[in-house]
Amino acid sequence: MVTAALHEGARPHNVFTRHDLHGDTVLDCDVVIVGSGAGGAPMAAELAEAGFDVVVLEEGSYYQTRDFTANTSQMVRQLYRDGGASLAIGNPPIMFQEGRAVGGSTVINGGMSWRTPEDILARWRDEAGLEDLTTAQLEPYYERVEKRIHVAPMDDEAIGRDNWLLKKGADAKGWKTVGNLRNQAHCVGSNRCAFGCPTGAKQSALVSYVPRALHYGARVYADVRVDRITFHGKRATGVVGKVRTDEGKTHNVVVRAKLVVAACGAIHSPALLARSGVKSRSGLLGGNLSLHPNVKVVALFDEDVSGWQGAHQAFQVREFADEGLGCFAAVNLPPSVVAMSVPHRGAQLGALMDQYNHMVVAGLLCEDTTTGHVKVINGRPQAFYQLAEHDAANMQRGLVLLAELLFAAGAKRLLLPFHHAQELTSADEAHRLLDRPIPPKGWEVVTVHMMGTAKMGADRTTSVTDAFGFMHDVDRLMIADASLFPSPCRVNPMETIMALSTRAAGHVIDNSRRYFG
Amino acid sequence: MTYRHTQTTRAVLRSLVPVICPPEAAALAEPIIDHMELTFGVIPPILGTAIHAGFATYDVGAVPRYFKRARSLSGEAAERYYESWADGFTPMHVQFAGMINQLMSMACYEQPEMMERIGYRVGPWIEKVRHKRLTVFADDVAKQEAQILAPDPLRPLAKTKKEVA
Repeated sequence: MVTAALHEGARPHNVFTRHDLHGDTVLDCDVVIVGSGAGGAPMAAELAEAGFDVVVLEEGSYYQTRDFTANTSQMVRQLYRDGGASLAIGNPPIMFQEGRAVGGSTVINGGMSWRTPEDILARWRDEAGLEDLTTAQLEPYYERVEKRIHVAPMDDEAIGRDNWLLKKGADAKGWKTVGNLRNQAHCVGSNRCAFGCPTGAKQSALVSYVPRALHYGARVYADVRVDRITFHGKRATGVVGKVRTDEGKTHNVVVRAKLVVAACGAIHSPALLARSGVKSRSGLLGGNLSLHPNVKVVALFDEDVSGWQGAHQAFQVREFADEGLGCFAAVNLPPSVVAMSVPHRGAQLGALMDQYNHMVVAGLLCEDTTTGHVKVINGRPQAFYQLAEHDAANMQRGLVLLAELLFAAGAKRLLLPFHHAQELTSADEAHRLLDRPIPPKGWEVVTVHMMGTAKMGADRTTSVTDAFGFMHDVDRLMIADASLFPSPCRVNPMETIMALSTRAAGHVIDNSRRYFG
Repeated sequence: MTYRHTQTTRAVLRSLVPVICPPEAAALAEPIIDHMELTFGVIPPILGTAIHAGFATYDVGAVPRYFKRARSLSGEAAERYYESWADGFTPMHVQFAGMINQLMSMACYEQPEMMERIGYRVGPWIEKVRHKRLTVFADDVAKQEAQILAPDPLRPLAKTKKEVA
């Protein structure tokens, strides 16, 4: 079985890597999909099952569950684009992470699986004219995705102490907490979601949609970087890319297709289109970048926490979701990542890290109100994003609330995400933080949710694609990733990317004569 | 092309290990520097260029004040010189010092000796829970794997591509 192969057996026969491509390659197919993550993989699976000849190109390499080890830095180098150090330029610069492997960012995300809230969908309907994007219309697609990737609450016994402390603090404050829904089948709490799930429990695209696509005949080519889309007039006709062998040779990969799907994420999809000379009359291709800025604090407890023994983000505190603070969550990080996240050094760093097993790392996610953009510089995308004063102020408020929660849970000290951060030892001290606004440049912000750079909409003068992700003014070119979101979705975007991709696949099947006849 | 530290970079990093890493990591200087080499090999080119320029500047920038390069500083002088960057003549100095602190701290706590010291024994933990999943939950795991491949067309009544053709 293909899935068994993904866990422990040989590489499936229809997965090709740099080791298989010994010269220039030309492929013909119905649909070529660039990217194998939350957007590309469901599209590939649905279209392959419907009988279309599908080729998926992925810049990253192909790994199997057995390849995911406890070696954090090796996993980061293998699975993350730019070693996890991609930067959106601004003051502060914002570090963002993207997956680069078969399965895309679903291989390295936390697996949070939430539907976009109705009020956000209403905004998309009102502001972008996406009349069909109602909760009812999306229901069957969300249901289908949730079944495929096994969205479920955590088993209680897999929840670690850090998450129970977060919940204890929220309960003490009387704040709304939800058990996290995640794409997992009996997650057993290895807490390695961000480095490739080593137990196979997280149902990333790598172990769900990709095997399904392969089972129904799709071909996956890993290690192929797509340079540009090819056109005949205004019709997309395929893509041209390259594969680099371990010996340093470069071979061309040409794919001729009747339909081209860009599913490389909100940073790389607009870049691919721009490199290909595609323009949007809206002027918004590469613009409208939102990214759910998030910040983390380190709380120190007297008791042993050992947060690495238990599931990642088992709960989300949603009390302030309607106020631009999407959620608070406990997010255990390996020691090396904690060490790089704090400003300490020398003996002070050693003293702090000696308390690693007494730490709860907690984060908050901000629904941003400003936008940045992506530009192509020397063929590579570069994101630019300036954190807004309003959002910084909102995060500052969120930080005070998070501090209240953690002290209510029993924290003794709190380290803050600011340059030259001071420590807090009580909730009262946290409140004093509000006396002095911290300007955006003072924050240390990271993100994993990039969205909006090819927004969909009904009006071609104010959007890049139509409601299914088809580029306005270009024939047979689709986008299927978070680029399509007209605005931030407030929750973790994976499930919505998958649902919209499934819906778009349905549209392609329904209109197959138009695209393939 | 595989990244390799220049001699300057390696020498400067060696002088920074006692400044940034805890004293108990002193004996791990070379593995820490080797680890940073691997990290520098995958970071974006824009950062790589900045890092090379930064190390060269950091090295010679010590000469006017200490009459020797940064790579040759030790003890108090190395501390003070690093702090002068971390506190910043310019935002560029601050960001460079911060980035080196981050990457070296990360490399330090990737060393098995340092992980063992703080009680982070994740390898055995992974083995334990993986075994549990594949035994205690074996039936459910098999059910999910079967579900992933089972026929379930998105448009059961629609003509597929093959039928259209």
